[in-house]
Amino acid sequence: MKPTSPGEDMAQSAPETGSAQAQETETALQLKAVDKFYGDPSNPVVHAVKDFSMDVARGEIVALLGSSGCGKTSTLRMIAGFESVSRGEINLAGRRIDGLPPAKRNVAMAFEGYSLYPPLTVRDNIAFALKAAKLPPDVVAGKLGHITELLEIESILDKYPSSLSGGQQQRASLARALIRAADLYLLDEPMSQLEPQLRSVLRGRIKSYLIEQGLTSVFVTHDQTEANALADRIAVMEDGVLQQIASPGDLKDRPANLFVATFIGEPPMNVFPAQLAAEGNDLKVIVAAAYANPGFTIDLGTVERTPQSALRDGAAVHLGVRPHSVTIGRGNERGLLVSNQWLGDQTHLVIETAGQTMVAVSYGRVEEPLGAEIAFSIPPQAVHLFAHDDGRALLHGREAVG
Amino acid sequence: MIALELNNVSKSFKKDEVLTRLSLSAEAGETVVVFGPSGTGKTVLLRLISGIYDPDEGDIRLSGNSVIGIAPEQRGVGMAFQNFALYPHMEAADNIASPLQARGGTAAEIAEKVRGIASLLKIDHVLSHHPKELSNGQKQRTALARALVAGPKILLLDDPLRNVDAKLRFEMRLELPRLLREFQSTTLYVTQDYKEAMALGDRIAVLLNGGFAQVATPEDIYRDPVNTEVAKLFGDPTINLIPSRIVSGNGGVHIDLAGSEIALEAGYGHAVGREVYAGIRPEAMTISHEPGAGAFPVELIAVTPLNERVVMLLHLADGTEFFASAPEEGAAGTREHGPAFASVDPAALLLFERDSGQRIRAQSQ
Repeated sequence: MKPTSPGEDMAQSAPETGSAQAQETETALQLKAVDKFYGDPSNPVVHAVKDFSMDVARGEIVALLGSSGCGKTSTLRMIAGFESVSRGEINLAGRRIDGLPPAKRNVAMAFEGYSLYPPLTVRDNIAFALKAAKLPPDVVAGKLGHITELLEIESILDKYPSSLSGGQQQRASLARALIRAADLYLLDEPMSQLEPQLRSVLRGRIKSYLIEQGLTSVFVTHDQTEANALADRIAVMEDGVLQQIASPGDLKDRPANLFVATFIGEPPMNVFPAQLAAEGNDLKVIVAAAYANPGFTIDLGTVERTPQSALRDGAAVHLGVRPHSVTIGRGNERGLLVSNQWLGDQTHLVIETAGQTMVAVSYGRVEEPLGAEIAFSIPPQAVHLFAHDDGRALLHGREAVG
Repeated sequence: MIALELNNVSKSFKKDEVLTRLSLSAEAGETVVVFGPSGTGKTVLLRLISGIYDPDEGDIRLSGNSVIGIAPEQRGVGMAFQNFALYPHMEAADNIASPLQARGGTAAEIAEKVRGIASLLKIDHVLSHHPKELSNGQKQRTALARALVAGPKILLLDDPLRNVDAKLRFEMRLELPRLLREFQSTTLYVTQDYKEAMALGDRIAVLLNGGFAQVATPEDIYRDPVNTEVAKLFGDPTINLIPSRIVSGNGGVHIDLAGSEIALEAGYGHAVGREVYAGIRPEAMTISHEPGAGAFPVELIAVTPLNERVVMLLHLADGTEFFASAPEEGAAGTREHGPAFASVDPAALLLFERDSGQRIRAQSQ
């Protein structure tokens, strides 16, 4: 899927999320049209990162999010200097760094392959850079105390790396990166080895530490909860291409294309093939009946459109609706309940309608048995429309519908 | 019929006792989720059942027969691991066939079995593909086919959805129960994700400190946990445990939350005077600007989004931190920082003894 930007079809243009924000403040990190090939450049075997541009402001926290093989780790490794840049340039704190060896970039890293020094204790591993910088012992001790308390590793400071669990090694390596002074902090799946309870506690603490210390950081994750919790902006990647970079709220409310729309959000967005019916400025979305199921129509009311708009009468589109936005138990539409999973604080329902399944989230418990007929409705404000051909966003109901 | 039975199984490594007198039984066709934090011995338990380790004490029975001393490949155990790992150099068909190769049988018989299971799992059209050519969903089904092809007496799934992206994890969470039902497979499913445990388990066995702290349905575990350790493992954010005391007065029994009295349901007279933790799940709390009946004063400190919900950080009058959560859209109550009132559904208020963490239950009078 090609990167797409919300175009003239958007009822209200989405705010610029790329460089505008960075220009007001100081840009710390800049990637300019960066490519990464493996193999012969004229006929690359793998084109891992394609024309990637991004500005990160000083003090900003950016997540690179995507599934495995999307290019997020290659991007991080190019910034760190573990991979060469095939084309384009990388600037950090006002100087070009893509030709420099990792040690000359003034970048602090917590990487899976970038392990702790086995002959040193955890304490010495963490304090190494501070001692090398000849900081006074009481300053070193103060910083060490702060970071080890934050990451809950005080009890393992005198152990050697080989005797630690994966989660402990990961926290020690995070501490080693976060304690030193650097222009940029690069974290590769920083919490992948931690158990969920600890993860949710540490997320909050690491975020406040980064903000408090004003650290600029870029981290890679496949976990959108982590990206949402930690990052100011999230760069969503797929197939080597930056699909959208935006705040967590904008990614959810104004996804640039169908890929981002279905990748962000848990459970994922429901997508139906649909057709538009327009009369003057009134717009309706029609989802056809299929198999034994009835279809449904959503009346969007008055939607301002230009003559060039892709929101034409009869146009084929994708209709996207987030599971949390489906109203359950009332409304004119009908579907069959095919799955009902209660998770304690919410219930995930699967409803068969219009020949496919739709996921809905309810905050109470739903007692209806499987196979029961369920009433539902989709509020027009919850509708997202995407172009049938390339998946670019055409309309977000929240902005377009009164 | 009992498909799996563990009787007082213990296992130590050198001086570390990992599992202590563990007992559990699973009915044929049942999915039991073994749930707990890392380092509690979940993987060791699976290895004992599959025969990679032998228990120091106790008995393990599959379909009524003890399997102690029986070689792993003779036990009739099917396994799939983290990320549903496959052999990268083998086609999907060979991956699926691998458990059958060891047992003999003609090539034609093996191919027939592979085709059968692949068509049930809807991957028959990709049997000649290598893992790297499969979509993530197809990889997972291939690994599941490999675990199921030999018709195992029990299926062991070791955290199979760890570190997959949210979309796929969600799809598999919906689909796995259906597939497991279809195969009438008895399944032991290990996970650290409470949502997976709630969604997939007919019962959940909570493994803590080498023993099962509670084995019960998802509903009972969530609403009726035996102690604070079990209660804390479920929910996001997890349950609030607020130090408190059970007191009597004004013709009833209350708990004292930083100077505010919260009425308890009947049956706690026996526990008056006890130091407790008041366990309140974030979603059982309503935050408002109005001092309604039973509401107590709090201060709303911060509001943060968590997926599709909002999480509110609040302080009691004495500064104790706690969390409330609410659906983001259209939820009642306030979002404004500053003084507010919290109220709790009395039926959702769980009390735990302060020292031991054990649950204090209402007694019928």
